[in-house]
Amino acid sequence: MESTTLAHHLLLAGLLFAVGLTGVLLRRNLLVVTMCLELMLAASTLAMVAFSRFNHKMDGAIFVFFVITVAAAEVAVGLALIVALYRRRGTIQSDALNTLRD
Amino acid sequence: MPFVLSKDSPRPTVPTMPDGLFTFFAALTLGAALLLVLSRNAVTSAMGMILALVGIAADFFLLDAYFLGVLQVLVYAGAVMVLFLFIIMLLDTDDATGSYPWKTAALGLATFFLLAAGVIWLFHWSGAVSPTPAGATPPELSANPAEFTTAAKSFGRLLYTKYLLPLEIAGFLLLVALVGVVSLSKDAPEGQA
Amino acid sequence: MPPDFSSLVHWILFLPLGAALFIALFLRRAGTLAAGLSTGVAFAIAALALRLLTVTSADTLWHVELAKLGGISLGFGYLIDANARLMLFVVSFVAAWIHLFSVGYMQDDDARGRFFGGLSIFMFSILGIVVADNLLMTFVFWELVGFSSYMLIAHYFDKDDAAEASKKAFIVNRLGDLGFILGIAFCLAHHGTLNFAELGALKPVAGWPWLLGALLMCGFIGKSAQFPLHVWLTDAMAGPTPVSALIHAATMVAAGVYFMARISFLMTDEVLGFIAISGAGMAALAGLCALAQTDIKKSLAYSTLAHLGIMGCAIGLHRPDLAVLHMAMHAFFKATLFLGAGSVIHGCHHEQDMLKMGGLARKMPVTAATFIAATLSNCAVPFLAGWYSKDAIIEAAHHHNLYLFALLALAALATCLYSARMVRLVFFGPANSAAAEHAHESPWTMTTPLVVLGLVFSVAAGFAAPALIPASALAQVAAPLHEMAFHATAPATLVGGLALILGAFAFRYYGRAAGVDSLHADLPRVYSLLEFRWMDTFYGWVVASVQRRVAEFIAFLDLLLINGVAVRWLGAGIPAVIGYLAGRTLHRGQTRLYALSLVAGTLLLAWYFLAR
Repeated sequence: MESTTLAHHLLLAGLLFAVGLTGVLLRRNLLVVTMCLELMLAASTLAMVAFSRFNHKMDGAIFVFFVITVAAAEVAVGLALIVALYRRRGTIQSDALNTLRD
Repeated sequence: MPFVLSKDSPRPTVPTMPDGLFTFFAALTLGAALLLVLSRNAVTSAMGMILALVGIAADFFLLDAYFLGVLQVLVYAGAVMVLFLFIIMLLDTDDATGSYPWKTAALGLATFFLLAAGVIWLFHWSGAVSPTPAGATPPELSANPAEFTTAAKSFGRLLYTKYLLPLEIAGFLLLVALVGVVSLSKDAPEGQA
Repeated sequence: MPPDFSSLVHWILFLPLGAALFIALFLRRAGTLAAGLSTGVAFAIAALALRLLTVTSADTLWHVELAKLGGISLGFGYLIDANARLMLFVVSFVAAWIHLFSVGYMQDDDARGRFFGGLSIFMFSILGIVVADNLLMTFVFWELVGFSSYMLIAHYFDKDDAAEASKKAFIVNRLGDLGFILGIAFCLAHHGTLNFAELGALKPVAGWPWLLGALLMCGFIGKSAQFPLHVWLTDAMAGPTPVSALIHAATMVAAGVYFMARISFLMTDEVLGFIAISGAGMAALAGLCALAQTDIKKSLAYSTLAHLGIMGCAIGLHRPDLAVLHMAMHAFFKATLFLGAGSVIHGCHHEQDMLKMGGLARKMPVTAATFIAATLSNCAVPFLAGWYSKDAIIEAAHHHNLYLFALLALAALATCLYSARMVRLVFFGPANSAAAEHAHESPWTMTTPLVVLGLVFSVAAGFAAPALIPASALAQVAAPLHEMAFHATAPATLVGGLALILGAFAFRYYGRAAGVDSLHADLPRVYSLLEFRWMDTFYGWVVASVQRRVAEFIAFLDLLLINGVAVRWLGAGIPAVIGYLAGRTLHRGQTRLYALSLVAGTLLLAWYFLAR
């Protein structure tokens, strides 16, 4: 067993990002879509921490701090939007929410 | 040895099995992510998400970012996902009806494999990222880089000296989000559609 | 180091500009002050020009570069050679006395401030043409002169004929200027410089291209009313008489002749041949047409056309020196004639019809004397000013080409005929109307210029010229004067003599019936032939049937192709189709489709940047 390299961690982050992206494209339930978005953000924070560790600098880790903050704020507002949408339209299936068209 | 992505980086050697803990937690995280994406029940998806976040936090620990790992569990997996669960249960949504039409399933699989292949290619076959030889000094990457420590104290010091402005702006951002959420949650006044 | 007279030229050029600006800003209402300022400035620059003429015989050069575009240098500068000094003096001197005349003539006019401002800006413009040292600067001042003329002809802007005439003058001039500016472009492209001195030194091996001369000639044709762009001059008489005297007799129309003299080295033989023939033809034709005009100013306008034709012919005969000389002499006596006509019009309370005048010699003796003196100069009576130049040109034509000589001889005969007619109808015989009955002599402001320009310069200068010439700085024009005075030859003298005899005969002929044109009475068909405005009718026909049809056809094409095809189909139609299709495919309202598109686009971008 060798110690992990940067490549391993970045590979994991990349795969997680890919899974999240697939979820965004695939699922119809808006809540699940939002969760997949969060997964993408988490994957990017993983990559940043990996870089920070392997470059021996702290700047990456600090940036993760801010990413978590922003993600929290974004989730709050996004969920409020979903609730308001549910109140208006009675559904959160993205297929049913298709009136914004020509 | 460069860490930057470049076409001229030397080709890596064939990878061997990495550290056991890392393998375990990586598998856990990926499995949880797949659960998140593929399950029909929204609550099951939320559970998968929590598990994935815990796995990521474990990876943070493996990367010596202890403070961040704790932060991840507390804030992300704790507060944010709990909020999600509240909303899921509030809205009382139906489960995803039926199985996916084959077109959508095919599209989903295709997208995933495309992305995964891209990632793997980028890291293992294009030579863009090469392994560190032990003890080599990483290159200077920013004007005033902060030294790597694992102590939480260093986080605090950095946040309030070098990253003071982003900190203040982040606080402001949270305020704005708060105001936005409150205004979005208000009921429409009487007599208005 | 020869003394530098460029500062003198600066004063001469910019004093009138300053006066015009001052009048425009402050003195619009104060007519008397404006008149005084403008006239004072005019006399000042006349004095300065006289000094420049007499003090030096060396050329003055001055240049400042304004811009350098690519390899081309554009500048503002002076080239004061002998021609320029003479022209400066003639223009400023004649103009000064015309300013004085205007003070009296325009006394009752409320818009005097505007008038004198216009005169000052005209002075600036014409002096700019005289001193200019490159083609572009000439063109700029050329246009300024056109503008000043437009402004001054339309001084009585509420009269339809004045407004129409000023438009016509400007548009016809513009047609000529089109050729001019094409010539400037051609010169720049071919020779890389617009400077007269540099062009003069160039001397290309194969000679100058004929197109260059032809294009630059277009400006001359427009400005100096040569065939076929002569139609504006007679209509321009709708402006006040001092304007006609200054602009359309003495200076502006002469600017074209002066310009041609400056660039005569650029002309090829074919171009000069055309100028000679059209000039001689115009001289003869205009002289005959003058016999059929009853308006005194229009008659004088045709006379000016004839003389301009003679000047053009001189240029065409490779004698630009004679053309410049005739231009100078013509300025003096034609200005006198116009001012005399103005005096007569003023005395008869704005009556312009010659048939209604008569017997004014008794009532307006000074005017009559000066008018007759100038007329004799016009008819080239020996040893008067006009004789030197006009007969020299007839002489040169005789050497060159007998057809030209015949045309010019005919022109000389016609000159005497119409001059005699004019003098007889206006000044002699019984008074033909109440206005003529009660005519009175004009005030001193109007008669003094008449005396100075008429008696002093047309007559006395002519006598004194041979004696004065060796001692003065007029060496440029000395040779022809000298030649004429002492070596007058047979053909010109014969023509001159015959013309004078005919003139005397005409004098008696037109005195036969009172208040009626004898030719009109005896030979009405000939008269109406002469009266008919051939070119104007032709131009009117061209505009109405040819140009209008072409314009309507182009408008139709525009509607069909540009509006219909290009705008409606290509410009608006194709985007509409594309937008519709895009809307159908992309704007479906499906969130996941949007997300997919977003991801696809991002991946493409990432691939592009990473694959570099």
